[in-house]
Amino acid sequence: MFFIRRKERLSSRLHRANRIRLVAVCSLVIASACAREAAPKQSAITDDFGDTLVIGASPKRIVTLIPTTTEILYAIGAGPRVVGRTMYDVSPKEVLAVQDVGNGMRPNVEAILSTHPDLVVLYASTENRDAAHRLRASGVATAAYRTDHISDMARVTRVFGRLIGDTAAAERTVDSALATVDRVRKQTATLPHPKVFWPLWESPLLSVGGGSFLDELLVIAGAQNIFSELPQPSPQVTFEELLHRDPDLILTGEVTRARLLLDPRWRTLRAVQADRILVVDSTIMKGPSARIGASAVLLARLLHPGVKF
Amino acid sequence: MRFSRWTLLWLALGIAIIAGVMIGTMRLSLADLVHGVIGVGEPMPIAVVRTLRLPRVLLAALVGAGLGAAGAALQGATRNRLAEPYLLGISGGAAVGAVLATALHTPIALVPVAGFVGALVAVALTLLVARASGGRGDARVVLMAGVVVGAFANSVIMVALANADASAVRGALWWMMGSVAEASWTQVRVLAIFVAIGIGALIAFGRAIDVLALGDDTAAGLGIDVARVTLGVYVVGALLAAGTVSAAGLVGFVGLLVPHLVRLAGARTHRAIIGAAALAGASLVVCADLIARVAMPPAELPLGAVTALIGVPFFLALLRRLA
Repeated sequence: MFFIRRKERLSSRLHRANRIRLVAVCSLVIASACAREAAPKQSAITDDFGDTLVIGASPKRIVTLIPTTTEILYAIGAGPRVVGRTMYDVSPKEVLAVQDVGNGMRPNVEAILSTHPDLVVLYASTENRDAAHRLRASGVATAAYRTDHISDMARVTRVFGRLIGDTAAAERTVDSALATVDRVRKQTATLPHPKVFWPLWESPLLSVGGGSFLDELLVIAGAQNIFSELPQPSPQVTFEELLHRDPDLILTGEVTRARLLLDPRWRTLRAVQADRILVVDSTIMKGPSARIGASAVLLARLLHPGVKF
Repeated sequence: MRFSRWTLLWLALGIAIIAGVMIGTMRLSLADLVHGVIGVGEPMPIAVVRTLRLPRVLLAALVGAGLGAAGAALQGATRNRLAEPYLLGISGGAAVGAVLATALHTPIALVPVAGFVGALVAVALTLLVARASGGRGDARVVLMAGVVVGAFANSVIMVALANADASAVRGALWWMMGSVAEASWTQVRVLAIFVAIGIGALIAFGRAIDVLALGDDTAAGLGIDVARVTLGVYVVGALLAAGTVSAAGLVGFVGLLVPHLVRLAGARTHRAIIGAAALAGASLVVCADLIARVAMPPAELPLGAVTALIGVPFFLALLRRLA
């Protein structure tokens, strides 16, 4: 008994020593990261996982596991280099001919490796950390990014430009998209901003939240998301709260619109009673891709039918 | 059970229902409630009471009543205090039906129907498995068959969800945790008929269940067809639970907990236990739904999670008393 306790104490002391060492190492890493930020080097970029991307070895075989980044790669002319995509990729049309490697979240690493990639682009969430680690261990470069906001589109496009060695094409893509976005923003600034509810799912009721690029897109296109103060991208909300916030407009798909118009529960909403349900093209909901400018125009035309955008 | 206890049960249910209709994002007064019910006054309170809250609260009450009664009858017939309606493979079967429907992008209105069909298939499968192993009327064999069918169902769900997109997974999980948020009057009407017939049938079995408690041989000696009564209670209990599942998804713990509570409160015969469990179950689910609505605005908690959160500490306290 005594020995066991002693051993435990010993091991806990060891643990403590390890912990101190760990803290020291961590602070070193953080300090060096800060230093790096203070003086950015031209030859290396860190992605959203904190992994380093090497510039110079222009990738020839890219697997893209986010539909948004797929569109961006095609937009900057790197389409011919794409050798793998997710099962959800439908845009642009050419991508359908590319090898489907399945789900983009918790991806199948073997399926990815079978396409012999030299760069894999994935979404930077905890679920994908393990896959990124395995791919790197197999000698494949990874670039993990959170593509949640319009600013991410510009950031990621520029990184891709540097990676493939065509920064001019990347700048052109970013400039053209952001210029359109700015033009729409300026045009809608003086227009009335109707209160909009944009449901993403009906059961449970999920809304576009403040954490989504769709919330930004609504503001640009001249509207006000009634659940904009909620920080999540797709928060769950109650029907009564929706009734309480009383939206002027509802955005949804064609099939859902037909159903909502007949549902007695939804008919308690002023917007449904007056058939102020707008059918929105679901392609703009996929993510903040290079087509964000076109999406802003599409949405603005829908929200303000009398105005020319 | 004494008269005063029945009054208390009805009173509790009445208060729960009134509170359920009055409390929410929009706080309504008693006057609003009355106006809403009779349909005069401001259009907004009327819409809230008639279209949103009343169907929802009544559906919660019916779900609770069905699950409470089914649980009480099954615990009696199997002489197993851990039996509950979902154990007969119902929860698994219903979830498989609903998840497959969600994963295959069928219209939302068909999800409950798929859940109901899934539950019936699972119950049939459970009874078939039990019969194939030679234990048609044996409570233990049927319960074990239910566990096996449930495990199989779980694996089917995992396979179906492996490649589903995030929203579909969230929708399926939400359904599996139970909710009465989308209650409609049609659902209330259908489930009311279902629950009334079901509870009536279970109460009719009440005397026979009392006799079963004396042991199979004694019961057979007293002229009870043990296998038939057991099977009858299974089928009615399962149908009742499947009906509630189609209306509100899976609302756990009610069928397990409520029968214990009413026995503890002094109900002795199974007619009384089943009836009281229906009333207490109704109050419990109405209260749980109220908590689910107001605990974390503007989000809503899954109903099944709330019933389990309430149920687990209750059950632990109960276990301590029994031990």
